[in-house]
Amino acid sequence: MKDWEARLRTEARKLLEQGEIEYLIGFAPGSLKFTTTPLITGNKEDAGLLVINPFITNNLSVFLNETRGRTGIVAKGCDARAIISLIQDNQVAREKVFIIGVPCPGIIDLRKVEKLTGRDRDELDDITLAGERVTVTWDGQPREFPAAEVLRDDCLDCTSPAPREYDLLLGEEAHAGAAAGRGKSKIRELEALPPERRWDFWKNEFSRCIRCYACRQICPACFCERCFVEEAEPHWVSPLPAWQENLLFQATRIIHVAGRCVDCGECERACPVHIPLRLLTGKMEDIVDELFHYRAGMDKNEPPLMTAYQPEEAEDFIR
Amino acid sequence: MKKIKKQELARLLQQWQADYTVLAPSRATEVAAMAEWDGKDIGFLEWYRNTVIPPKEVILPNMEELFRFQKEGAGYRLTAAAPEAKQLVFGIRPCDARALAIIDLVFQDTYPDDYYLSRRQNTLLVGLGCTRPCDSCFCTSMGVSPGESGDVDLMCTDTGDELMIEGITAKGKELLEKTGGLAEASPEDGSRRQEAIEQARQRITRHLDTGGIAEKLQRSFEDKEFWERIAAKCITCGVCTFLCPTCYCFDINDEKTAAGGGARFRNWDSCSFAAYTRMPAENPREQKWQRVRQKVCHKYEFYPRLFNIIACTGCGRCIRLCPVNWDITETLKSVPAPTTT
Repeated sequence: MKDWEARLRTEARKLLEQGEIEYLIGFAPGSLKFTTTPLITGNKEDAGLLVINPFITNNLSVFLNETRGRTGIVAKGCDARAIISLIQDNQVAREKVFIIGVPCPGIIDLRKVEKLTGRDRDELDDITLAGERVTVTWDGQPREFPAAEVLRDDCLDCTSPAPREYDLLLGEEAHAGAAAGRGKSKIRELEALPPERRWDFWKNEFSRCIRCYACRQICPACFCERCFVEEAEPHWVSPLPAWQENLLFQATRIIHVAGRCVDCGECERACPVHIPLRLLTGKMEDIVDELFHYRAGMDKNEPPLMTAYQPEEAEDFIR
Repeated sequence: MKKIKKQELARLLQQWQADYTVLAPSRATEVAAMAEWDGKDIGFLEWYRNTVIPPKEVILPNMEELFRFQKEGAGYRLTAAAPEAKQLVFGIRPCDARALAIIDLVFQDTYPDDYYLSRRQNTLLVGLGCTRPCDSCFCTSMGVSPGESGDVDLMCTDTGDELMIEGITAKGKELLEKTGGLAEASPEDGSRRQEAIEQARQRITRHLDTGGIAEKLQRSFEDKEFWERIAAKCITCGVCTFLCPTCYCFDINDEKTAAGGGARFRNWDSCSFAAYTRMPAENPREQKWQRVRQKVCHKYEFYPRLFNIIACTGCGRCIRLCPVNWDITETLKSVPAPTTT
């Protein structure tokens, strides 16, 4: 990854210098341990700040509307799918982006590391990911774990860690989800519950939603200029954080991103109260796949799901 | 000053439960918040650093019923329920206690708010000094000491095996007087307490120089280029404001019921939102950079100008919970210095 980082810095600087791109969106070191932060710049000197490491969590495609000229963007597999989806939806023009692809080895979920080690992130000395193993050091003692125990659930489920669309690829290797389908097994567990218990489960989860809308704001597929939840007339959903309204907001949001959600898992990560939103997006993805044999952001030339009709599509949902 | 062995804490809280609804740090709902104490678990003494949901929620809830209305003849009958339950919050951190004192300047001193004041007056705050501050904490730069507080009714300091308990307000001292099972602290306990306070202070690693910050911000107010750069990576969600212990913006909403009645609610709102204040008119801060500027300036420029205090206590929640690691201390460090012309 260090090689990729060096190459990225050189190439990004060159692209800015030569006027190939006017802006650059990448990752810079964050201000806390094991964090990175989005870097949005037009200054070639900033290329030296770029990093590639297992903490590049953000899906940077959400920032593509921040820049006015041709933009270079660092994209992991899921981010590239989000860009493809935005291209399909006419939100981003292909020629306006220069995609710098990162063949993703998986991103570390710090909440999982905290659970595994019983230490808060700022009390750890080091986290190093190397292939299938991760080494976490605290109290000066390195300890080794299988990477699958600390990678994000969406990474474990990932089927396209290598970017499907790029102008420059930083490396070759990419591991498809180390334990594909793990996140989905939670969905199966939930589906097996009787409806009342499932209802109780969601009541419990959405009772702590504070309506900060981090899930919506972090989501590249949520590009509406005005969200239904903010419409006052009619009042589709109450802005009050009552659990039923919170659930209704989220269910509607997720239906709205059907065919656009690429399962980058950012909504779940951004949620400050840890609502397992991927259980909903994952289920929605399954339904889209089952009914329409469609997966979001796979091919920029494909029409967006909701604008195209195929005669062979399932129609049994029309009653 | 009194003291108690830490393993005796449950008995102390049980005693207080006779007169108060006791709230304490809890992880019952996945993320740490102040929640009604279950009558036995004091495990928080081990894991608790600070809550994710700030304790302002106890005084200014995210969703608060103001009154109910019911159509009656030609008009409406209104019924308001003033919150009167007596509650005791155990474990509030010095930063969050100071934050309530900062909100008081608005809801108590400037626009006395019955609902806020009723909750505030019926709530007894028992502070607990920090022993393990987070790397995002910068309270010492904001005039808060992580181990001590004058903004609570009673203040506890963890000296290892014991908690030292000091009465701060008359209300707190009165409670301490009638609380049984406490031992008198010795002068040695006093020095152990002082040591713990000093240690906590030294464990704060993040620092911010706030000298002249209000003036710098005032001069940079129209510096669009600066604010656009600062705001670029902000996603304008409500994490930093909702979870800020000093942010108090609210929205008002009516929820109707079918039979000509309903209720009026107050809920948290955020100046980060594009839809902020759109209900009465429109949002004067249409651009993202204007909203980010508002958040920063309200805390570090307008508040000092109005009340002579910065509306930030360095709790660090906005830094550690931000989905893009937008760091207010970095923003403040980069505000252009005034030119000397």
